Formats: sequence, C-alpha cells, structure tokens
Amino acid sequence: MILSTLIWFPILGAIALALVPSRYLKWAALILSGSILLGSLWIAYQFDITQPLIQFREDLPWLATLGLNYQLGVDGLSLPLIILNTLLTWIAIYSSPEATERPRLFYGLVLLISGAVSGAFLAQNLLLFFLFYEIELVPFYLLIAIWGSEKKSYAAMKFLLYTAVSGALIFVAFVGLVWLQGADSFAYTALAGNTLPLWQQLILLAFVLIGFGIKIPLVPLHTWLPDTYVAASAPIAMLLGGVLAKLGTYGIFRFGLGLFPEAWGTLAPGLATWATVSVLYGATVAIAQKDIKRMVAYSSVGHMGYILLGGAALTELSLVGAVAQMFAHGLILAILFHLVGMVEAKVGTRELDVLNGLMNPLRGLPLVSALLVLGGMASAGIPGLVGFVSEFLVFQGSYAVFPLQTLLCVVGTGLTAVYFVILLNRTCFGKLDNAIADFPKVEWRERVPALILSLTILFLGLQPTWLVRWSEASTHAMVAVLPPVTQVTTLAQVLDRE
Amino acid sequence: MTTTLQRPTLPPSTHEFAEIIHRLEAGGAMLPDTPENLMQIIGIYKAYAVPMDFYWRDLLYIAERVFLNPLPAFKYFLPQSYLDLPNHYAGETADLRVWRGEATAHPELLAFIEKGEVQKKLPKLLHHLWHDRINMEFAEACARAMFWHRGMGGQFDPYLDSEEYKANADRAIRAYFQGNPVMLGLYRLFPDLFVEQVRELSYYANLGLFWEVMAPVFFEMSDLYDEGKITTVPEAMNFLVNGIFAIAGRPIYHHVYIRGECYEIIPKSKGFMWLYEAALPYVEAVFYRTSPFRGTKSYNAQAREVPADQKDFHYGILYADVFPVGSAGIPPTLLMQDMLHFLPPYLVDYYQEHCRGEEDMLIQLGISFQRSMYNVTSAVIQALRTALLYPLDDPNPKHLQANRQFFEAQLDRFRRPEARLRDIQDQSYR
Amino acid sequence: MSSRIFLAVDPLPLTDSVKPMADIVDIAVNAPGFKTLVAAVQAANLVETLKSPGPFTVFAPNDDAFAKLPPGTIQTLVQNPPQLARILAFHVVPGKWTQTDLQQVDTLTSVEGSPIRIDTSDGFEVKNATVIAADIEADNGIIHVLDSVILMG
Repeated sequence: MILSTLIWFPILGAIALALVPSRYLKWAALILSGSILLGSLWIAYQFDITQPLIQFREDLPWLATLGLNYQLGVDGLSLPLIILNTLLTWIAIYSSPEATERPRLFYGLVLLISGAVSGAFLAQNLLLFFLFYEIELVPFYLLIAIWGSEKKSYAAMKFLLYTAVSGALIFVAFVGLVWLQGADSFAYTALAGNTLPLWQQLILLAFVLIGFGIKIPLVPLHTWLPDTYVAASAPIAMLLGGVLAKLGTYGIFRFGLGLFPEAWGTLAPGLATWATVSVLYGATVAIAQKDIKRMVAYSSVGHMGYILLGGAALTELSLVGAVAQMFAHGLILAILFHLVGMVEAKVGTRELDVLNGLMNPLRGLPLVSALLVLGGMASAGIPGLVGFVSEFLVFQGSYAVFPLQTLLCVVGTGLTAVYFVILLNRTCFGKLDNAIADFPKVEWRERVPALILSLTILFLGLQPTWLVRWSEASTHAMVAVLPPVTQVTTLAQVLDRE
Repeated sequence: MTTTLQRPTLPPSTHEFAEIIHRLEAGGAMLPDTPENLMQIIGIYKAYAVPMDFYWRDLLYIAERVFLNPLPAFKYFLPQSYLDLPNHYAGETADLRVWRGEATAHPELLAFIEKGEVQKKLPKLLHHLWHDRINMEFAEACARAMFWHRGMGGQFDPYLDSEEYKANADRAIRAYFQGNPVMLGLYRLFPDLFVEQVRELSYYANLGLFWEVMAPVFFEMSDLYDEGKITTVPEAMNFLVNGIFAIAGRPIYHHVYIRGECYEIIPKSKGFMWLYEAALPYVEAVFYRTSPFRGTKSYNAQAREVPADQKDFHYGILYADVFPVGSAGIPPTLLMQDMLHFLPPYLVDYYQEHCRGEEDMLIQLGISFQRSMYNVTSAVIQALRTALLYPLDDPNPKHLQANRQFFEAQLDRFRRPEARLRDIQDQSYR
Repeated sequence: MSSRIFLAVDPLPLTDSVKPMADIVDIAVNAPGFKTLVAAVQAANLVETLKSPGPFTVFAPNDDAFAKLPPGTIQTLVQNPPQLARILAFHVVPGKWTQTDLQQVDTLTSVEGSPIRIDTSDGFEVKNATVIAADIEADNGIIHVLDSVILMG
C-alpha cells in the first residue's frame, strides 16, 4: 500500500488543491510533497538492502485480458530514484516563486508529475510503466508552455514531439516483445526471462535504446534538451534534469539491460562508444556556451554518458556507479539549475559576458556564489562530493572492460572542470560592476533548497555507503544472471591494434 | 556702501566638469548642496571622528613609546595615559578650542574599548583577538601609504634624509637598545635598518598629529549640525576651510620617550607646520594615491597593471571602488567596520531604507564616506585658493581667470575614468 | 640703481634726509598699521635678525592683511614661534630688491626657501598680494607693503 501512496497521494492531492484557499496553496503543496518525501524515506528505512529482488510488492488485477495489471514494487535500482523524485518535488515546490501565476494549476501539475514519475519507477508491468511514462508528458508540456521564459511555446512543442516519439518507440518495443514472446501479460517478471532469438532481441533493444535515448537524452537525440531546459523556469528545469532524464536511464537499465541481456552484451562496446561520444560532445559544447543555463543543460548531456558507460561495462561496480550517478546527477543538476535560476532572478541575466563578481560579500550573492562553486566542483567530480563517488565507481568498474572509452570519459570529466571554471570565474569572481549591482538580497528562506541539496551532496560525498548500499544487492543480481560481456578489450589490446 | 557694484564675470568654462567649476567659483563644494548629502557627510564625520580619536592617540603611542620594539604585540593596547592625553584642540586646556567637548578620549570610544561590539566586558586580549576593537591596522596603512609615497611637498620628507635627522635617530636607537647587544649588533651590521624604521615612525607621529586636529573638527561639525547651525554643504566646507587655516601653524614633530627621557628626533623648532608637512601630504597620499588593494594588481613591470611612476597612482578614496568593501584584508573594510560602530541614529535609519539595509551598510556608509571626503577635498581646494590665489569676488578679471585655471587644474585630476566625482553628483550612487 | 622711480604718493613720512636711516624694524615700529607684524616679529624672535646689516627685502603685510586671515590662524602661529618665524621668513628675501629691480625677475627665493612669484606686468603683485607701497628704504634693506599675507605653496 505504501507504494501506491507515493503515486496516488500526490495525484489526488493535485486535485484537492482546487479546494484550498489560494494563500495556503504553497503550504498545502509543501505539506503534500513533504509527506511523500517522508513516505519514500520510510520505505528506504524499511527496505531490506540484502534482498536483491522486488520488495513491497503490490499486485491487483485490472485489465487482465490486455495483460495490464496494477503491479508495483521497488528494488535497489528504483529506490534511490524514488527518493530523488520526492526530494526534488519538494524542493521544486519550495523554490518556486511566491508570485507564481495561476499557482493552483502550477502546484497541481508538479504534484501530478511527482505521482506519475513515482508510478513509472515503481511499475512492474510494462504497460503500466508506459501509462505513467505518458501521463507525465502533458503536465511538463503545460509547465513549460505556461510558466516558461522566452521561446516557451516552441520549446514546449519540441519537447512534446520528441518525447511522444520516444513513447511510441518504447510502446512498439513492449508490444513487440509480448507479441513475439507470445506472453499473455505485460508483467515484468514474466517477460524478464524471455527466450527470443538474438536478432529479435537486438531489434527490440534498438527501439528501447532510441526511445529512452531521446528521453535521457543521448547525442544525437538531444536537440530538444537545450531549448527545453532553458525555456523552463528554474524549478521545472530542476525536475526535467533531475528526475525526467532519470526516467530515461532507468528505462534503459530496467527494460533494455533487464529484458534483453544477451543483446545488451552484444551491443555493449557500441553503447560504451556512444556514451563516450555523448560525454565529450556535451562537455565541448558546454565550453562554447555564453548562457550559463545552457551551459548547465549541456553539462547534463555529458554526464548522462557516464551512466550509459557504467551500464555498458556491466560489472558490478560499474552498475553500482551508474545507479549512484543517476542519484548524484539529479542532486547536482538540481542545485545548479536552482542557483542559476537564482542568479537570473536577482541579477536579471544569464549572460556570461555580463555577469561578474557575484562573490562580492555585501552587494553580490555570496552564498549563492559559494554554493555554485560547490555545485561546479561536485559536477566536475572533486573528491569529497557526491559526483566523485559515482564517477569514480563508474570509471573503476568500466576501465577493465572498456579502457579506451573510460579514459576518454575521464578526459570528459576534465573538460567539465574546464567549463565550470569558465562559468565560476566569469560569474562569481572578478569585480562587481557598480552600475548594475543593485540586486535584491537573497532571503534566508530562499537559501534553504540550495543548502539542503549541498548538504546532501557533501554528506553523500563523505559517506558514500549511504548512496550505494541500496543498489548493491540488486546490481549484483543483475550481473549474476548475465553472460559476461565478451568483447573485453584491454588497453594493451587496443594499443596493439593501433 | 552699495553691494551692487558691477562684478566682472568670466565666460562659462568649457571644462568637462564646468558645472562643478562654476559651483566652486560660487563658493560651493564639489559635492552638490542637498540636505541628504549634508546629513550623510556630517553623520560620517561623527562616525569617523570617534575611531580617529583612537587612531591619533595610538599612532603617537606607537611612535613615541613602542618605538622600535621588535615584537610589538601590544601596540594597540593603549595605556590610560594616552587615553587621557589632552587633545590640543578640545576641552578647557586647548591651545585653540575647536571642539567644545572634552580633551580626553571620547566617551563612546571608551565605552567601546570597554565592552566592544559584543557588549560584554571580557579580557582585553579576547576583544583584541576577536577583532572586536578599533582597527588600528587602517591607521597604520594610512601612515605607511604616506611613507611609501614620500616626497609630496613640504620640508618634512626631505628632512628625513638629512644628516641631522640621522644623527637624532641614531641617538634614540642607541638609547632604546642600550644593553641589548643583539639589536645593537644588528644596528652595526645594517646601519640603515633601524633608521628606516624610525622614518616610518616619524610618519606615524606626523599622521597622529594631523588627526589630533581632525577629530575635534569633525566632532564640532557634528555638534553644530545637531544644533542646527550648519545647514548647507558649503557651510560645512567653509567650517573645514576655516579649520585648516586656524590650525595651519601647529607644529609637526616626532619625540620619543625612552626611560623617561625625551629624544627629539624631529624637534618642534624645525618649524614644520600642520598644513604643509601633514595635511597636504596626507590628502595627496591617502585621498589621491595610496595603492591598490593587496593582491588585486600585479606590480610586475611587464604586466603594466600599475603606473610606472608612483605619483601617477590613483587608488585613493576619491577614486576607490567601494564595492569590494566587506572583503577581508583591505584597509577600507577595516575603517568602515570602525565607523559602523559609531554611526549616528539618523544615518542608521537612512541606510536601513536603502539598498539591502542592514546587510550592505558597510558599502552604503563607504559611499557616504566617499562623499564626505570629496567635501573635505573641496575644502582643501578652497583653502589653497584662499591662501595662494584670490578671493572669489575679486574685482580683477585676471585674478578670476587665475582662480578658474586653478580649479580646472584641480578637477583635471578627476577626469580619469575611475574617479568618483561624476558618481557623487547623483544620489542614486549609494 | 641710478634711475629710481618713487611712488607718486609716499605713504610713509620717511626721506633720505633723515639721518641716520632707521633699520627695517624701526621703520615698522614707528609706522602706523604694522602692529600685528611687529608683534609677530617679536614673538618669533626675529627682531635681532631684522636689525642685522642684511641687506634684506621685506614684503610687509599691514594690519589689514593679517586681519583678512581666518580666525585662529594668528593665534596658533603666535603660540608656535618656530612656525611663525617660518611664515615671516617667507616674506623676506636676501638682498635689496627695488621695484625696478624686480621688473627683471619672475621669482625670488625667500629666506624660508620657497619661491615667491613676482608680477610687475600690471601693477606690482607679489604672489597673490598687491604691493600698496613700494620701495621704502631702510638702512639694512627695503620694504614693500602688501595687502595680504603671502603663504608658501
């Protein structure tokens, strides 16, 4: 029952917001999202970390003839993402400005997204997953189209088209799997041990990869991302980058790797290379940006590559790293988008060439700048922060399998440091310009989200077991049932070939 | 007698700051005459005078008593005798009573030394280490700026290189290190080492004697404003002009007291005067020149970040960007912090209403300080005009033309882009 | 020194015929309008110097000139004889410079050490002061009366 609560409490809450007097709206939304955050933490508390399989199982017959049943469950792969989702929902609501227009609709849509995303993470039925996956689209479209900034309708439409295609591809894959397998249900457990020939698996996996690849997004399917992230307001960008992108990586792991392990093993070297291209492309394009929000958006493209690399390498360590990276990236991207949004709100610009000297202790945004430095460091994988833990695990786990790709991804991390140094140097350091430095001050309550996120980033960086222990058993089990990736190449072999 | 005599007039100035020049020619200041400006500058004078009352006492204490102490850990712990030292320009015993208040340390200063910002009587060392005290580092930075630039007119500075001065310093050094073979050995090895230190201390004394005058001047201005007797910016400026003349002849000297004996390193009989040997070099060194904040500019000649010639330095308060105030380790932050403790209530209320209120008060008061120093500089310019040139109502057009050339030459120094003269014309600069 | 031009109206009743000629101090003491100057010279202990053979050229501000200074200026100087002496020394130039002689020069160096600007192009001006009586001869120098106290700088 507790899992259903995570889904239906916010969705019903979104409807109930219609009855709340408008001056209590934000409070009501905060209480609703806060209670699901507590609920997800309670699940984590109750979660048995030694148990690799699905826990808190819920199974209700629904449209059995269609093979659609209400099947929920949580394992080490989805639990961190559930917590990430509920946490970022609360923070997005908290950090949305007081003066939000049409707050009833806004908070309602955010809560709706939260419920739908939780549903997708929890669904143990492919069709149910697909339903939740599609439900979240419309609220996002509206949130971008109504509360976005410049080019919002263009960006929202682009987002909608891309993700609709993504959904269609995934649907084809799911239906194809059930059809080819001749199964009578979309239940995940029933389909997980499919016995399809490799070529069929490869075709279905290709649909899954491209479908979720759009969502993540991976190069070259990413072109919707910069427009959408930039057009979305800061809280929505947080949810897009922090949570929605994770739906893509989660999908690839759960439905790509989980359902077609053999095909995955065959494609692994290609996936690793794809990941590397994404990493390097995202980083180099980010370096060229003049808009800090766009820069952060492209950083996201790069960092999603690490997750795919960890998945492709298919070692226990790399998978743990990949799951950790999903969580870490969610936190880091959320804090970056939040702070960039804060800078934009206070200073009125995101242009690198205009921003300067925000570290100024009295007239600048000193705490925002300091936390931006922390976020940049975390993103660049500086030890002691959560980004280091996950990236290091991915690299450590992948190096033995894909040395060249891993090394190139390490170079990508170095490039991350390059663009964050550019961003921080131009934005935070230097001399504050007297002519423009008439910023409103940052109130203490506005500092809360960034402080929560940065403390979490720091805590998990210093105490990484709290981050990885949830997924260790599940990833261990995933690797155990898989054939080892056969295309093992060592760096020596690669160099020999040169 | 009739006052409607036809006064000669000059054609309008074509200078970039023509408006300000015409204002100066009419007896005004560089700072526009508005009640808001007046309130800011007077409030700041008061807030400046209280720490200044400490600065001058401690500068003299360091120059006269601490002297060459190699480990002067307690040089900011002012003994009672220096707190009681009668100011020559305040109180009953004054040579010339500028301020009607007392000659000993200001009561607000004494209360602050006692309890500090934390409002608790703690051991003095704790207040000191917590930096809950008057930031003497600022005063020392000013004295060092004067010493570093040197050669800014007057006979004081050339005297520091004379044989007579070296002989005087030598006697004091030998007396101070009497019975200390290590330091005397060091002195023998490096004969210029301590003499150079003494030169710096002479500038400490110089600045201490300068500020001894300014503190009562500012206190009196604040009192007159409170009594409603100063009502315009030009009145405030003219009070300063009269003050400059009245005190111009006060002697500048450097005496050192070693074991109860007075060593006259710079005797009063040299005839060094407050105006020529202290005030004008001070204005030049601190208002105009000083040096960039440590670490912000490279002194590497190839980098060309600072002028090749020290006289081209323009980093003083008249040019300074006040925005970095609040950053650690820069002298203006220390001064603003000191003034923050002694702001009159009307200025606190005023700052609360603008910009970020409480949070950026240091910068707001820093900019008021900049305004008030433009007023002091206006007074210096008008005083020099009075001393060296002609009355503003002189009937001779040649004389008026000379006055104009003087004003234009003075304002030429503010044509540099970093000068804040343009900014202070407008109230939105805060 | 042959062609000497006297002012049309000599304000002081002193002529070459008075023998022996008085020195600079005597002239100032006996003439009206130099009370402040005389008091200042006495306070600065310069009487002996100005009675010495010299010769000196003295630019002597009269009482009105001193009165034009802002209040307190004289008081502070009188309290500090060395400083007062320095200001007075600025009004004294070694040698005997008549108005005619001064037409040949732009600046003189005072006993104090600072230069004094001389302008005879249009009237007779010494720095920012105007000479209101020139070429009063004493037996150890010459006096020019100024309408303002001149200051170094």
